[in-house]
This record gives sequence, C-alpha cells and structure tokens, in this order.
Amino acid sequence: MAILTRSGDRTIEEKEALLGYALIAPALVLIAAVILYPVLYNVYLSFTIVPLNPNESPQWIGLEHYSTLLGSSQFWGALWTTVVFTFFSTTLATLGGLGTALLFNRAFRGRRYVRGLVLLPYVAPLISVAFVWRFMLDPLYGIVPYIGSDLLGLYDGNVDLLSNGDTALWSVVFIDAWRYFPFAFLMLIARVQAIPSDMYEAAKIDGASKFAQFKDITLPELKYILATVFLLRWIWNFNKFADIWLLTRRVETLPIYAYKVAFANYQHGQAAAISMVLFLALIVFVLGYVAWALDW
Amino acid sequence: MSTKQSTYRHVVDSFKNALGVGEATIETSLFERVVFYLAMGLTLLVTLFPFYYMTVASLLPESTLYTLPPTLIPTEITFEHYRTVFGPETFPFITYFKNSFIVSVVTAGASVVIATFGAYSFARLDYRGRGIFSRGVLMVYMFSGILLVVPMFQVIVWLGFVDSLASLFITYLVQTLPVSLYMLGNYFRSIPEEIEEAAIMDGYSRLEVIFKITLPLSAPAIVAVFFFTFMIAWNEYLFASIFLQSQSVFTLPIGIEALSSSFRQVWGQIMAASLLTSIPLIVMFTYLEKFMVEGLTFGAVEG
Repeated sequence: MAILTRSGDRTIEEKEALLGYALIAPALVLIAAVILYPVLYNVYLSFTIVPLNPNESPQWIGLEHYSTLLGSSQFWGALWTTVVFTFFSTTLATLGGLGTALLFNRAFRGRRYVRGLVLLPYVAPLISVAFVWRFMLDPLYGIVPYIGSDLLGLYDGNVDLLSNGDTALWSVVFIDAWRYFPFAFLMLIARVQAIPSDMYEAAKIDGASKFAQFKDITLPELKYILATVFLLRWIWNFNKFADIWLLTRRVETLPIYAYKVAFANYQHGQAAAISMVLFLALIVFVLGYVAWALDW
Repeated sequence: MSTKQSTYRHVVDSFKNALGVGEATIETSLFERVVFYLAMGLTLLVTLFPFYYMTVASLLPESTLYTLPPTLIPTEITFEHYRTVFGPETFPFITYFKNSFIVSVVTAGASVVIATFGAYSFARLDYRGRGIFSRGVLMVYMFSGILLVVPMFQVIVWLGFVDSLASLFITYLVQTLPVSLYMLGNYFRSIPEEIEEAAIMDGYSRLEVIFKITLPLSAPAIVAVFFFTFMIAWNEYLFASIFLQSQSVFTLPIGIEALSSSFRQVWGQIMAASLLTSIPLIVMFTYLEKFMVEGLTFGAVEG
C-alpha cells in the first residue's frame, strides 16, 4: 500500500525507515564494535605471533600456527574430547528433557510448583552448582563416593572421580546433562502439550500399544523441536568452558586447550588459531546437521 | 445410578476440577498412578538433592562435616560458616556480591533498553537491510566466548580497561544483546499489529505507539529478558577470570573460585557462599516464574 501523505518533506514510509535505522543503530554499532571486529581481529591474530608487550605489533607468520596444530597430538586429543563430551552431554540432556516432559504431560496436584522446581539446576548460578558437585564428589568426605563405593561397591573407593583421567570426562558429562536437561524439558513440554489428544484416542481404539503410540504419534510430532533442542545444546556444549573448568582440570576440550595456551602459556596467536578451528568445526557440523535433520 | 449418587459424583468432580486434579483421576489405574508418583519423586530427588545438600552442608559444624557417613539430616546446626563468609577476615564476600550485583544490574538494564528499541525496529518497521541485520544478529548468537576471548583481551588491554568492572560491563552487554534482541523481537511479532495500526489511525506517532501500547503490553517479556541477561552476567566466569586481577573488583564466580583454591577444607564456607550466590536468582525466579517460562519459549537462552 503506497502512502502518499506527506508530512514535512518525507513520506511516511521514509520516516518509518529512518526510525527503523535509528532504533537499531545502537545495538548494531555495539555488536559490530565488540563482536564482529574482535572476531575478524581473531582471524588476523591466528596468523601472527602476539608479543607480550601490547605496544609492539603482532608478527605475521602465515599458516604456521595451523600447521603446528595439525601435527599436535594434544590438539587432536582435545578435539576428540570435545566431540565425545558434546555428543554425550547433549544426548543425555535432550533425552532427560524428553522423558520429564512426557512424564509431566498430565494433570496432577501441584504441577506448576513441580515444574518450577525442575528448572532449578538451569536457573541456579554455575559457581554454586559446580562447587556443590565438587563437594559431593570429594573423594574423602563426598556423599557420591560414599554411596557409590562404600555402600554399593560400584568402584574402588580410592578413585577421585573428578581428577581421575578415565572418570572425569563422564562425571562432567553427567553433571552437564543434569544442569541442562531442564532447558530441553522446557522447550519440549509446550510442544508435547500441543499434541491433539484425539490422535491418542484413535490409536487406542485401533489397539496401539503405548510404545507404538510414542513411536508413531509423539516422536513425529516432536521431531522438529527435538532436532532444534539437540542443535542448540550441541552448539553451546561444544563451546563450553566454565562448566568444565570449574569442575576439573583433567578434561581438556578445545575451549579449555585454547584458554590454557592463551593465558597460561601466553601464546595468544596460537590460541586464536585453536579458537578458529573450534569455530570452523562447529560451523561444518551445524551446516551438515541442518542439511540432514532440518528443512530450513 | 440413584440421584443421591449422581449428586455426590457431581460434587466430588467439581471439587476435583476446582483443585485441578480432575483429569488425572479419570482414566488412570492405581498402578499407573504409583508408577507416575515414583517417577516424579525420582526426578525431583535427582534434580533437587544437590541444593538440599548444599543447604545442609552450609549449616553443619566442622566436626560433622568431615565425617563418614555423610550427614543427611543435621542434628546440630551452626551459622558459623555464614559468619565467616560475612566477616572480613577470610574473604571479602560482600565486596564480590556487590560487584556482581552492580555489573549484572547495569548490564541487564542497558541490554533491555537497547534491545527493546532494536527489536521493535526488526519486528515492525520496514527498511532495506532489515532481513540481513536480523539474520546477522542470530549468527552472532552462535559465536562462543572462547572465540572472542583472545581478541577482546587485546582490545581491553589497549583501552586500558583491564582490572575494572567496565571491561565486564562492555563484554556482557554485547554478549546479552543478541539474546535480548531475539527474544523481544519474537515477542513483539506476537502482538497483533492491528492494535498498533488502530493507534496510528487515531493520530499517534510511532514513538508514542511504542511507549503507550507496545511496551505496556510487553511487560512480561521485558521482565523475562531482564532476568535472563541478569543471570548471564551473574554467572559469567571466562571473561571475568582474565580481565580481573585484584580482589576489590572480583565478582562472585572468581571470588569463590579463589577461596577454594587458596584454602583447603573450607567446604562449609564455600557451601554457604554458594547458597547466598544462588539466592538472588532463585528469589527472582520464584516471583517471576510465569514470565520466565513464557520468556524462554520466545527464545532459547544460552547456557
């Protein structure tokens, strides 16, 4: 619809557009200055040696950092740890959320309160959550080793679950899934409740079992949202730093490797290259996943 | 069925409906109900146990805290750990709390204001480049902190902001802006456009429409966005750990981490500090739960 009314020298459409630019400008300027510029600067830094003295300029070395990474077993190990951590924590959190959403998809007394309580791990501060788990897993006085080892005899009591190389990764995977399953639950519960109940009525009349109902009605109805939840959690878990770092120093994912290289070894150029590889690996995964799972 | 019985059923049903327990009792067998309550109990146990244990451990005297079997139901409680946390001798918890609070409130406030206007622009106004801007913001949403940490450190050093809360404020503001823009944009699009068009017909300007109609209608979403940006800033560890050096500017995550690495066996104090750190978020969440859940469905918040 063309609006020809003039007020001043500009049409209403022009004024709307100008207002649009004016309103978005502060956000765009900030994002460009504090995100886009640093990201591009990071690309540049990854080709340089960054001197400790901030007044000296970085020294261009081309692809050297990248070739160092390709030949480093520590790098490949960290990449593998990242993939294992991300895959299992994402899958567990998504399944946990799905299970809880299906379980709570019915009317019962106090449902609102129960739902609020289930969100607590996701809402509580990371620092508190990380430290209570560290205390609960403490090899001397922790309640988890007491139950798991002393009472149930599941493993040898001298093993410190968070600093033992074999168990640290799985402890972190479990704690991460515990913290983030409420996110999946929240995203899924709305969709679960929106499935029309007459679909189940019809299936019941046809004599479909609970499992058949789940496979043929629930899963197809939730396919899109499940795929989205999995993707979002994958992106965030792939980049995860603080959750792992605060729990243990024995799990070295790529973000942690980059952090150590940057701020323990002060090799900022090398660290920039690691974060670039992390980013590229994530982009490749996301594009492949989207092409495979979602019809965008 | 006699009249008496049907009257009785009617009364029972209306009470059940009034209490919100009507549906569950209609078709489910006793067995199903038992399984359901067991599963719910287990879910709640797994979810809540760490918080219960945090509370118990913060109240146990040292003598029972470090004994086996671990104490689940305290017979003797003490507020000694809390006294230590609030006392200035061991570590300046109040300073950390204040720093975290200032950074989080300022970040959340600024993020909400800037994002409200930006999101309105995306959602309602028509101009060239709008699509690219809004998709670009979604892309930025995917950048990780670790990708920014090296260049941001260089920039912050160059600006001379190292070891100041200003460095965190800038970083957090920009990290929360994409989330806020996305959530508010989705919310604004859900408000029927006809309401605003009617107001424009009545002679309101766009800005008047925003302030008198859109903002009041969006109060729940704005509250939710404030809470989520506050939560992101309250939790942030990565940037704080590299920008901050002196105790006087530490935020809670850095401060508590420093306490744990410089002393051995201070679990009582750490649990007390952890609980106190959780309180602002849990109080806000309890009061605003309805808005929070609504807000989350308008945009996934990184975590």
